[in-house]
Amino acid sequence: MTAAKIIANEIKGYHRFVQFLIVLVALGALASLARFVFGLGVTTNLNDTFPWGLWISFDVVTAVPLAAGAFTLGAIVHCFHIKKLEPLVRPAIVTGFLGYSLVCVGLLLDLGQPQRGWHTLVYWNPHSPMFEVSMCVMAYTTVLFLEFLSPVCEKFGYHVPMRLLRTLEMPLVVAAASISTLHQSSLGTFFLIAVDKLHSLWYNPLLPLLFWLSAMCAGISIIIVEATMSHKYMGQPDEGELLETLAKILPWVITVYLTVKFFSLFALTQGPLFNRPGLLVLFVVEVVGGMIIPLFMLMSRKVREDGRLRATAAWMVIAGIILNRFNVSMFGMEAPGTFYYPSFIESLVTIGIIAAHILFFVLIAKYFPIFEHHPETVDYSIPDHFHKTEKGHAHGAAKA
Amino acid sequence: MSSENQDFNKSKAFLIDMTKCTGCRGCQVACKQWNQLGAEKTEFFTGEGYQNPPLMSEYTFTRIKFRDYEKNGQNEFAFYKEMCMHCNEPACASVCPVGAFKKTKEGPVTYDADRCIGCRFCMVACPFGVPKYEWSKALPLVRKCTGCYSRVKEGLKPACATTCVSAITYGNREDMIKEANKRIAARPEKYLKKLYGSEEAGGTSVIYLTALPFDELGFKPVTKRPLPSYTWQALRLVPGIFLTVGSSLSLLSWFNHRKERIAKEEEQRKSGATPKEES
Repeated sequence: MTAAKIIANEIKGYHRFVQFLIVLVALGALASLARFVFGLGVTTNLNDTFPWGLWISFDVVTAVPLAAGAFTLGAIVHCFHIKKLEPLVRPAIVTGFLGYSLVCVGLLLDLGQPQRGWHTLVYWNPHSPMFEVSMCVMAYTTVLFLEFLSPVCEKFGYHVPMRLLRTLEMPLVVAAASISTLHQSSLGTFFLIAVDKLHSLWYNPLLPLLFWLSAMCAGISIIIVEATMSHKYMGQPDEGELLETLAKILPWVITVYLTVKFFSLFALTQGPLFNRPGLLVLFVVEVVGGMIIPLFMLMSRKVREDGRLRATAAWMVIAGIILNRFNVSMFGMEAPGTFYYPSFIESLVTIGIIAAHILFFVLIAKYFPIFEHHPETVDYSIPDHFHKTEKGHAHGAAKA
Repeated sequence: MSSENQDFNKSKAFLIDMTKCTGCRGCQVACKQWNQLGAEKTEFFTGEGYQNPPLMSEYTFTRIKFRDYEKNGQNEFAFYKEMCMHCNEPACASVCPVGAFKKTKEGPVTYDADRCIGCRFCMVACPFGVPKYEWSKALPLVRKCTGCYSRVKEGLKPACATTCVSAITYGNREDMIKEANKRIAARPEKYLKKLYGSEEAGGTSVIYLTALPFDELGFKPVTKRPLPSYTWQALRLVPGIFLTVGSSLSLLSWFNHRKERIAKEEEQRKSGATPKEES
């Protein structure tokens, strides 16, 4: 059999849904090809009034916080040392890696001169939030790629790189958290320059801090949803108990976020808040439906222990954050009387990117050991370079 | 950004006296000629008033906006020359990730097309809505008024200022503001006692004098603070936050792992004098 035939046979064996995803990804690829052939002006609904549309609002500004699970959980597990959550880390890292790779794809599609993307590495402008975000996204994608290499090396049994990755693990986790803090918040800094454009329901000097806090809410919620779904649809072990712990952490983060949000709204906002009823409705839906209701849900033990209700609350938080990013980057930026909606090709590309994310996650989970990772067999203490502990105390990974 | 510690009063500026503008649109034509910009297909009465083209675009760096109003029961026209304001501290230059925009010491804000990656952040950031995009092209670039830097550099006046009979004066910013105030003082009943551009967005190299209230003419209300300072107040914290988060997380994990290691040592000491091989 030729390689093409093997692949075709393999695909035939996939679940219907996975095959459907492949079709969506192919359509998205075709649509992005059309964008490169015919140009942004023809294929998108962007114009001089709306230079940023769906691709920036969803593929970049929204996808980045949705990929925040990796750094949040990495920090919770390795830095705060809540070791029992360890089985959730690898799927989270894969989600993060996929998320960021697709953010890069989305960015390249949106750039007018994608072939010059490397210019950010050469011509530095530290005053630009965009410069900061692009540097961080490149660095963090690399970090996530290195973290993702662990299951790959395990799969193929490469021991020497495994050992190296093991030594690098803690520095990578710390780097991941610090880099993410910077670019998650800088996405908020983007809109600080839109002084007279972004509506004051969202514009305030603490926007970067709010973006960072809500990214953590998104990260934790995504892990809950993802673990629940891979248990339900992919036959993976039930991590309900671990998710309960996360569901206990989540309300605290939401509370901090809401406190900062209301403080900045009432103490730091300068413009009128109630002059645009449409935006006010969006704001209320975002805050009440996406934050306050799930906060109260998660405060009850019954919800935290019930897999279904817990996932519902997490979904609500995710929806709230998606709406928040759209409010900041799209709806709140629109001047009264103007309206932007994405074109067919723009939507197709975004659907393709979402489908690609799910598809690659399913395929990676199928071929690489991201779920079969048992923490009790691995020693997670920092490698003892000074040999303070007795000799012969070998590190788990070195033996793997 | 190259605008730090620059004396903007010595840089060149436009003084546009709109009471003297007759709406001939000679500046529009001169701009098209000097910058070799293509024509646009236009139609009458598609936009508001009689102006054409309806908006600034990749082909139109400057245009005269027409505004009809009633004065003593008579229909009158007011004109407003739309162009890049060449801010003292330009938002576009501050947000461009590759530094394609630059405030020159002569005054104009220039754009380096060879650097641009096409992120369009300048268009989002500009409070005056000036940078326009080549939506017609497969690999588009940003287009905007160059302040005729190629002319100004050689000691010439910008094309529009050369063509204009009366409304545009060009010279040192300081002198232009002085001149504007002189005109207001000489004809207080005619002019509005305000210079648009003297403080807007931290001051611009285009200063307007009008008889009609600015908002009626379609001037955007813009903050007095230089725009780059809004993002810089957050961005300047970046290195500090990076070091704080990095070092505190490193310390935290070091302590937590040390605790674990000590607990393990303790356990081993209890279970026997010799360290047991781990299974």
